[in-house]
Amino acid sequence: MKKVMILKYAELNTKKANIGLFLKQLKRNLEEKLKKLPVKITYDKGRMFLYMEEEYFKEVLDITQNTFGIHEIMIGYELEERSIETIGDYLKKFIHEKEFETFKVETKRSDKTYPMTSLEISKYLGGVVLKAKQNVKVDVHHPDLTIHIEIRQKDAYIIFDTVKGLGGYPVGTLGKGLLMLSGGIDSPVAGYLAMKRGVKLEAIYFESPPHTSVEAKNKVVQLKNILSQYGSDIKLHVISFTEIQESIYKNIPHEYLITIMRRMMYRISAKIAYQNRCKVLINGESIGQVASQTLTSMSVINEVVKMPVIRPVACFDKLEIIDLAKKIGTYETSILPYEDCCTIFVPEHPVIDPELEKCIQYESKISYEELIQKSIKNETIIKETKNEFEDLL
Amino acid sequence: MIYLDYSATTPVNYDVLESYIRSTRDFSGNPNSIHSLGVKSKALMNSAIKQISDTFNILESEITFTSGATMANNLALIGTSLANMREGNHIIVSKLEHPSIYEICKYLESIGFEISYVNNDEDGLVDFEDLKRKIRPDTILVSICAVNSETGIRQPLKMLRQIIKKENNNTLFHSDMTQALGKVSVNLHDVDLASASAHKIYGPKGIGLLYKNSHVSMTPLLYGSGHVNLLNPGTPPVPLIVAFAKAIRLATTDIDKRENFIRRLNDKIVDDLKKYDGVLINHSKICIPHILNISLMNIKAETFLHALEEHEVYVSTNTACSSGEISTTVMAMYRDAKRASSTLRISLSHLTTTDEINKFLLYFKMVYEKLSFLKKEES
Repeated sequence: MKKVMILKYAELNTKKANIGLFLKQLKRNLEEKLKKLPVKITYDKGRMFLYMEEEYFKEVLDITQNTFGIHEIMIGYELEERSIETIGDYLKKFIHEKEFETFKVETKRSDKTYPMTSLEISKYLGGVVLKAKQNVKVDVHHPDLTIHIEIRQKDAYIIFDTVKGLGGYPVGTLGKGLLMLSGGIDSPVAGYLAMKRGVKLEAIYFESPPHTSVEAKNKVVQLKNILSQYGSDIKLHVISFTEIQESIYKNIPHEYLITIMRRMMYRISAKIAYQNRCKVLINGESIGQVASQTLTSMSVINEVVKMPVIRPVACFDKLEIIDLAKKIGTYETSILPYEDCCTIFVPEHPVIDPELEKCIQYESKISYEELIQKSIKNETIIKETKNEFEDLL
Repeated sequence: MIYLDYSATTPVNYDVLESYIRSTRDFSGNPNSIHSLGVKSKALMNSAIKQISDTFNILESEITFTSGATMANNLALIGTSLANMREGNHIIVSKLEHPSIYEICKYLESIGFEISYVNNDEDGLVDFEDLKRKIRPDTILVSICAVNSETGIRQPLKMLRQIIKKENNNTLFHSDMTQALGKVSVNLHDVDLASASAHKIYGPKGIGLLYKNSHVSMTPLLYGSGHVNLLNPGTPPVPLIVAFAKAIRLATTDIDKRENFIRRLNDKIVDDLKKYDGVLINHSKICIPHILNISLMNIKAETFLHALEEHEVYVSTNTACSSGEISTTVMAMYRDAKRASSTLRISLSHLTTTDEINKFLLYFKMVYEKLSFLKKEES
């Protein structure tokens, strides 16, 4: 008998031939995140099993709860001998430490050759509990304690605790996307949601020193690090945007500043994405939130790139986005008050229904291709999330 | 030298001191400056704060750095009392608190707050029924230390919280965790407010912290600028914060292993000292092993302390902060004035060696015999 953590896969029942790829990726992701802990992982098509010493359970649970691709995490005991009497004996032993007044037993039998049906097993073991513990009764609707029994090919499992996982697909199973990460509230949430669907992220950030500060950049690095916890280390491309932004400011009617600036950002992002084999761009645009996010603005801005742009929070209300940001732990960082390149040079009346022809005409006044090339050439990459102060702390 | 006064203060850990020196030397910028030197200091400070908040599973913004636990206690008790005056003016504390808590209570009484003292049993455990009885609709705060500084009584904070919140959900729960942190595992979610200090956990003197759950409202006692420490404004002492973070990390690793080791040392001392007629052990089953309190029934504790000192053995009478008075803790436990009037505290560390304990017991015997003889002559 040993204690075990059992993972139920999320949304993988739609996958047939390539389910193996998904499971392999999930295992790899968990191994990467758990590499400092002595945990053994095995899996089959229905479940993944994590074995470890008791003292590591809490830490491992914390990590598995923040890993995509898991529907539920069950904590229980694996019995190598799976006769109904043995299960009953162990159940009697475990049940003594539990405090409850009502309970039910629920059985799942993936091995259909087992001599009893699921219902018969539940009934038998319910009887065991009633005999072993005084003053408890069965309640199938709202029990204090649900005892899950799983009968599998070789082993049986007694499970007392089940916690919800994050759902989604294992990060990395759906290829890579480039997240346009500002310091705001929306883009980290967008990144999180893309990761939830199995997308591995790289991120791009535009800085405009001296108009923006090192602190603004540090904030984005921090956001990237928080997001990395849900998948793997996110590579951050930092693009110096000062020259482009200043030349836009000098040469273009101010109501079009934001529109043209966004078009430039899209152009650069698409190039970086292409160089790094990212299939899509991902950003935190939400319909109607600001002038550059009206449908007209979106279409005029989107026009400069061919690759799909995924906008996971497009249809979320701001409050919904904030709730999610709080839940995933990016909110506190996002609201730190540093200027980013979207908040400097803001015109008083930005255009909300920009015209494509005008954009093209205005852009012809600056030699943007050259500036874009230069900024891409000078990109800096921040990769690992390692704490640079580790030795001091 | 045999140092057995670790509950008064601890020697600074070498690595902690090293971090202090390096961060003083290499991070000279003011973390409130927005140029790169300031940003560098701030980034280091934020990493330190994050490390601490991760350790305790709390928010970074729930930490306020103070000069030590006394200041944290002041902020906690006075700050929340002032902020919650409209809800009531009643505060409950235990009879086992550090003297700083009682001094603060005296002040609060002088400005119109009412203080009740909750009873405890002979083991030192807070009397749950008495606590329930004393909590009223106008009780705004209960303060009970996690581990008592004189005898090491450890209170079940989680249970106390349940009792308090059940009686009055608006009553805040503060715990002085100075003697608990780094010795036993603590859960800050058991309380709304907590105080701690670095120098008790092999960190530098001059820094402590207040944990304040984000839902707790508090009136600041100090005013100034700076975004980090709203309740203790001014330029944050980055090197002290860094050293504190490191001290916390080191002190909270292997905590169980250390406790087991210290328990063996404690048992050894108890086994030996209980043989003396004139020695009573003030120890109950809920005391942590790091602190061992005894009463010398025939000899003045202060004399005994100085006699041990001649052999370079260092212990304390009561706590360092209340020397000279009778032990309120021992009095609260046994209600025996004689027993409480001559107490010695021996406090242990994972740095203590078995050899030191053997020598200590030897010196104890020598001093005891010498002073008992004097005592007889006197009479």
